[in-house]
Amino acid sequence: MGLFILRRLGVMVLTAICLTFIVFWLTNLYPKLEVLAKTQGNFRMSDEAVISYLGNRGYTQALPVKYGQWLGVVPGYIIEGSDGEIRSKCERNSPPTDETPTFCGIIQGNWGFSTVAKEDVADVLPTRLGNTGKLMFWVLMVMVPGALIIGVLAGMREGSRTDRSLSTVSIIATATPEYVSGVILIALFATPLFGMQYFKGTATSAMDNITFNNFFLPVMTIAIYGMGYIARMTRASMTEIMTAQYVRTARLKGVSFANIVIKHALRNALIAPFTVIMLQVPWLLNGVVIVETLFNYKGFGWELVRAASNNDIEMLLGVSVISVIVVLMTQLISDIGYVFLNPRIRIS
Amino acid sequence: MTNKTLTGAPLHPAVEIYVKDAQTGKLSRREFMARTTALGVTSAAAYGLLGLAQPAAAAGHAQQGGTMRMQMEVRALKDPRAFDWTQMAFVTAGWLEYLVEYNSDGSFEPMLLSGWEINDDATVYTLSVRQGVQWNNGENFTADDVARVITDWCDKNAEGNSMAGRMTALVDDVTGTAIKGGIEVVDAYTVRLNLPQSDISLIAGMSDYPAAVYHSSIDRENPANTPVGTGPYMIESNEVGVKAVLVRNEGHEWWGYAEGKGAYLDRIEYIDYGTDPSAWVAAAAADEVDMTYETVGDFVDVFESIGYERSEIASAATLVIRPNQAAEVDGVKPYADVRVRRAISMAVDNSICLELGYADRGIVARNQHVGPMHPEWADVPAIDYDPAGALALLTEAGMQDFEMEISSIDDDWRKNTTDAVAAQLRDAGFNVKRTIIPGSTFWNDWTKYAFSSTNWNHRPLGTQVLGLAYRSGEAWNEFAFNNAEFDALLDDANAIAAADERAIVMAKIQQILVDEAVTIQPYWRSLYRHCKPGFVGWEMHIAYLPQIYKIGIAA
Repeated sequence: MGLFILRRLGVMVLTAICLTFIVFWLTNLYPKLEVLAKTQGNFRMSDEAVISYLGNRGYTQALPVKYGQWLGVVPGYIIEGSDGEIRSKCERNSPPTDETPTFCGIIQGNWGFSTVAKEDVADVLPTRLGNTGKLMFWVLMVMVPGALIIGVLAGMREGSRTDRSLSTVSIIATATPEYVSGVILIALFATPLFGMQYFKGTATSAMDNITFNNFFLPVMTIAIYGMGYIARMTRASMTEIMTAQYVRTARLKGVSFANIVIKHALRNALIAPFTVIMLQVPWLLNGVVIVETLFNYKGFGWELVRAASNNDIEMLLGVSVISVIVVLMTQLISDIGYVFLNPRIRIS
Repeated sequence: MTNKTLTGAPLHPAVEIYVKDAQTGKLSRREFMARTTALGVTSAAAYGLLGLAQPAAAAGHAQQGGTMRMQMEVRALKDPRAFDWTQMAFVTAGWLEYLVEYNSDGSFEPMLLSGWEINDDATVYTLSVRQGVQWNNGENFTADDVARVITDWCDKNAEGNSMAGRMTALVDDVTGTAIKGGIEVVDAYTVRLNLPQSDISLIAGMSDYPAAVYHSSIDRENPANTPVGTGPYMIESNEVGVKAVLVRNEGHEWWGYAEGKGAYLDRIEYIDYGTDPSAWVAAAAADEVDMTYETVGDFVDVFESIGYERSEIASAATLVIRPNQAAEVDGVKPYADVRVRRAISMAVDNSICLELGYADRGIVARNQHVGPMHPEWADVPAIDYDPAGALALLTEAGMQDFEMEISSIDDDWRKNTTDAVAAQLRDAGFNVKRTIIPGSTFWNDWTKYAFSSTNWNHRPLGTQVLGLAYRSGEAWNEFAFNNAEFDALLDDANAIAAADERAIVMAKIQQILVDEAVTIQPYWRSLYRHCKPGFVGWEMHIAYLPQIYKIGIAA
């Protein structure tokens, strides 16, 4: 088991390195750097000024060197600029002192500086993650029980009227992406158009204080999408279990239907949905990008959009690292959880 | 009412000319106010010279205390001289104040100056610094501070410093810094500016939003890190793209309290809802904000439908849709040819742009970027609308197959107006491609796009914007317009002259802009702000100036 986890962590590190390198390469393409120089320095910089600006700040070094510096395996640059100022990476472009460390990359715990927010990435990301964490928590709280109940109810009696209607609803929910359902929900429940203005069409105030009013719509927008999918999986697994030999035997022995469902079928039926739920968490991150932008909720997804559109290199890299961790951690949990749910499976 | 001027000095001789001009109808009231108060006449006296009483300020009914939340983009701060967004000034206005304040009625009010005198030919400005003003770190505010800031403004070498364009008369062409002996500290509370040539626009320049007066300890990368200023508020938090909060600076004795200036609110929050106006409506409907920063286009009606009050001001704010004469597309400079530019102007009917782009909320302009709201405007006719002639001219220039790429930002009115221009060009038979660039990256290259639209704010004097954007080599000259005759005429126009003589020079200037077809400038827009009932002093400002100390909750 320990070895398995170690191996998984190894894969995680490797994936993170590959992914960040790709992001690093894309954000360091010259036109992107030019945009960065002009946003940071001056919107009407001449081309020569752009080159000296980038050169003075270490952007024109070779790609592997820059990447190594960001990682912290290559010593941070110390450049004497064309303007006579000495800039060092580890002092955030101030002249180096005696206490300046040689390496200052992510390995040393230095996540870099967001050029847009003008703050340390390490200061910005926890706030954003916290906001998204709250959103995800409530999404899971609504989505998982909702999906399981719908799935189990539909799967108990395959082909019944309940099954047909619930399945239709789940298929519609899964087929509607967040950017459609979000807009529909806002139009229905947050504008006076239909006389049902019960909720707020923006979640900005939820960053300080979550209320039912300001958080209902964003949570539902994400939850509805995932709910349909998980419900379908639960239903499929439930119908299969309900036709299994041991369930038939139990029924013949006169066990009540409620007891069969709860005591005998449920645990086995939940194995597949459990994996799906854990796999769904990274998928939710997609929805978070759309929903946070739509509802103006300043979380992880919103930060990703902002960093990408402003070529905020170190912020984007930070976001990538976190994404890799989230995705692989949920998979690790799902693999481990699987063992507990299904004793037949052994890892390692 | 004893003194007619701020310093008690006699009236400037030009004031008499203005009074005559105003009485004979050559100057409108707004123009008269701008002209005379810029010469140091108090606004009450200026109204008096016209035989009118000064309108009472509405802010007398505000209660002390309370919180105001405004929907506004929260942008990263930078050196105030390099501010290119008024939104930045709304944040710094909490602690950084201005020497002079420009008001929507066209008058100039003294703030950190207590008054100013201008000699007869407008070459010597004597600025009296307000006494008893303190920085919030306890130091006294003196003439040295004023001289230091003006010297900084004149530094053309500082990256992105647009104040140098407003202080041209004080800038040495060779060194790009303040001319020697131009800024003179006479005593602790007097600064004298000695100009080599006449310039009447300096006071107006000092009132603009990048002219915030900052302390020598300012962090130019992010002024919020060292919020030393003279104003009544202190920054509590400034999270770019999310929210900025100003709170009353309790320990600081603001000079304005004694003057009865206001600063009624205890707390001001600017909340960022992005650039999509429908999100602002959602925020207003959800009662998450109290007022908008600005309401545009169709959303004026939408906000009224949810019970918000409207404030409207007719201004010289406008949009230019311009080719860049120096821009190279596939190795040629398509817009360096005046025939191409004239063809573009001839193919566009400005009234259609106003109707489709801004829902007819404004007045049609004539591509001259000086309008009837400016004191020096001359009645120069616009180029004739002639789409057939336009195509003929374009064909003559050999550019009929050239694909013009017109870029704009992805918002409401700017995009719609640019679309209207593109559609008219297509109708005239031009080959047009429209590109929409997201707001986050649009401004990276705004002066460099080959053909794009840019919004320009109101400025008190018409020559100010011409000096900022049309003079050869200026930072904001997005037209790449380079015309020595125009520059020389602009210098002449900046010298004091009676309305008649000035109009002759301005007529030439405006004619050059029409003949050279520098830009399409289709309309002057009215500006709108909407507010939840119950606030006072929140009216939209004609030039978006951040007069937040005037806002209060109605008593």
